[in-house]
Amino acid sequence: MRQIAIYGKGGIGKSTVASNLSMAFRERGLEVMQVGCDPKRDSTRTLTGGRMIPTVLETLRDQLRLGRDQSAISLEDIVFAGEGGVRCVESGGPEPGVGCAGRGVLTALQILKDLKAFDTYGTDVVIYDILGDVVCGGFAQPIREGFAREIYLLCSGAFMSLYAANNIAKGVRRLSRRGETGLAGVIGNSGGQEEFERDLLSQFAQAIGTSLIDVIPFSPVIRACEVKGRTVLQHSPNSPEADAFRHLAEMLLANQSRVIPTPVEEVEDLERLYRSRLDLYAAAGESP
Amino acid sequence: MATERVTNAAAAARCHDPYLRCALYGAAQTALGVRGCCVLSHSPQGCFQLVDAAFGWQDADYTETLTLCTKLCEDEIVHGGEGVLARTILEARELDVRLMFVVTACGPEIVGDDIMAVCQDLQPEVEFPLVPILCAGFRGDQNRGIEIALEAMLEHLVPEEGGFRVPRSVCLVAPHANSNPTWMGDLAWVREVLAAMGATVVATLAHDTAPEDFEKVPMAEGCLVLSHDAGQGAADLLAERYGVEQWCRDLPLPIGFSNTASWLRELGRRLGAEAVAEGMIARGEATVVERCRRKGLEQSPLHRTPAAIVADATVGVPLLRFLAEDLEVVPTLVCLRSGQADAQAMLEREIASLGVSPTVIRDADVYAAKKALGEARPEMVFGSNVERHAVEELGIPFVFRIVNPLSRFRMVDRAYFGYEGMLNLIEVMRNDWLDRYRSRHRRYRARW
Ligand code: SF4
Repeated sequence: MRQIAIYGKGGIGKSTVASNLSMAFRERGLEVMQVGCDPKRDSTRTLTGGRMIPTVLETLRDQLRLGRDQSAISLEDIVFAGEGGVRCVESGGPEPGVGCAGRGVLTALQILKDLKAFDTYGTDVVIYDILGDVVCGGFAQPIREGFAREIYLLCSGAFMSLYAANNIAKGVRRLSRRGETGLAGVIGNSGGQEEFERDLLSQFAQAIGTSLIDVIPFSPVIRACEVKGRTVLQHSPNSPEADAFRHLAEMLLANQSRVIPTPVEEVEDLERLYRSRLDLYAAAGESP
Repeated sequence: MATERVTNAAAAARCHDPYLRCALYGAAQTALGVRGCCVLSHSPQGCFQLVDAAFGWQDADYTETLTLCTKLCEDEIVHGGEGVLARTILEARELDVRLMFVVTACGPEIVGDDIMAVCQDLQPEVEFPLVPILCAGFRGDQNRGIEIALEAMLEHLVPEEGGFRVPRSVCLVAPHANSNPTWMGDLAWVREVLAAMGATVVATLAHDTAPEDFEKVPMAEGCLVLSHDAGQGAADLLAERYGVEQWCRDLPLPIGFSNTASWLRELGRRLGAEAVAEGMIARGEATVVERCRRKGLEQSPLHRTPAAIVADATVGVPLLRFLAEDLEVVPTLVCLRSGQADAQAMLEREIASLGVSPTVIRDADVYAAKKALGEARPEMVFGSNVERHAVEELGIPFVFRIVNPLSRFRMVDRAYFGYEGMLNLIEVMRNDWLDRYRSRHRRYRARW
């Protein structure tokens, strides 16, 4: 079973990429489960026709209130069939500003494990879509507990996305020493300056000890699908955008690389790297 | 120089278990010192056990004191526990609650429960005053918890305006911050002394304190901190906010001949009762000398023996002079479980004035104390049950168990303070000395 985690800065498009990847894997006949690890619970929205599915923590809470515990939860309560047969799970979490979402994510994953969710459905690929940055130990749990094996960093051409990805790489470095988990690569989600972004992200990936796997082009089609609550592969299956996700899925399946990352230690060095690519494009008369 | 031999064994905020528990325990100890109160522990059930332990330390009356717990589980850690806290406070309306302290453990504070806001929001809905105390264990040890709780009490229960000052009146602070297992005996002795000198105790923070006593705190002329481990922060606050002067601040607490005499004289001076003080000193000293003479203890059997003190500062600092001056031992190590700056400065003054040169360790945990004992190799240790076990492999023959933890049940609150207290201390030492001397398993290895 392939266990893929997509990490990246908040708002960078992790859910969109994860959902389309799920669909692309599904097209290849694989059993796929997508697990949203974000209290916002919107990771699988485009796989469920824009519907928000009940979360694991919500379900657990309902049981606790009835005086029961997690043993009262069954897989049917928390795993939902999405488009094309992708199985969808949302960890859920607290309201903003209260409680510990990290602990919640871990609890939800533990319940999936206890219920033998992956074996039961004969899952070939699990995709974890993980909230923004590694903000606390709780969000590192999918790695620490061995749920996620292949970590992908989703980046755009914005400096802050690199900064966040570099921080995540630091977390991955700390956690991947002990097991089979490792950084598998960088995925680009273009903001419209694809050539610049491809170059920048290749350099960045190299700097942290991995490689750029692919870049999803910027496209209004992808945005439109998001708004409609559909994946691109369902909404516009013959579009070049759909092919881009299919290509990415192929690259991911072929990629066997797992490394302990070598994150850039000082933010100044990261800035220098970014500026050098920026200057190169400015000199070439292009304005990224 | 004594200061060169001082080691700070740990950061001040650390919990030195098993010598000291966490801040939640100290805060609960303090809150449970208020008569008829309700202590609501916003915590998992495990932490709540500390509230039970504090209940025992204060000898709180179970017929009128309530302890409640929100029993937090994973759900409240994930989603926050403000809801269950609010529900518990509201449900307490059905109980007979006069005053409620809400103490918090690590979990809810880490996940960001806003206890202050919950209490503030619910105050109009309940008839009893709510006093939130943020005392999660990560904030420090039990002494820190005592300081936090005292500050919260002063903040929430003591009126800002003091009104008039009651002449010759005293507020007693932190009597419970004392590892002396019979600290209530010490407190009783202090009260007796004050009564004999014509002083009134307006409030005790906190032991068997009536809720209405808080109103009287600003009326006090002076305050006495009955601990060298905690309470100084509250005394500073009393001075700053209400002009209540701290008495006997630079003096070790009254353990042993010299300390008791100095302390009584200073108190007598403050209260215009010098003659009373001198009378107490004369009578007290005569009693101790006479009693020792009759029991055949004119000569200290501990004479010129290298000794270590491993105790809290409340007992440990004054004990140094008693041992060095009165019992004529040679202190080679002073290991204190806390590190309050005032107590540290006092200890250094004591060391300089006694002309002794022990190694000093402050903020010591068991490991630090054992290591220091292993290096100092004294012939006897004035400490607790912990040292009794810790020194077994070091071959130190005598451990006098004078401070907590002790495996001895006591029904009578005898003191270490004052003259009877001195006899009590001598009695404890004598019994432990005889125990070891008579042991069939552990051979008599001291040089006497
Ligand atoms: S340290 Fe924290 S978790 Fe431990 S007992 Fe104290 S309050 Fe509870």
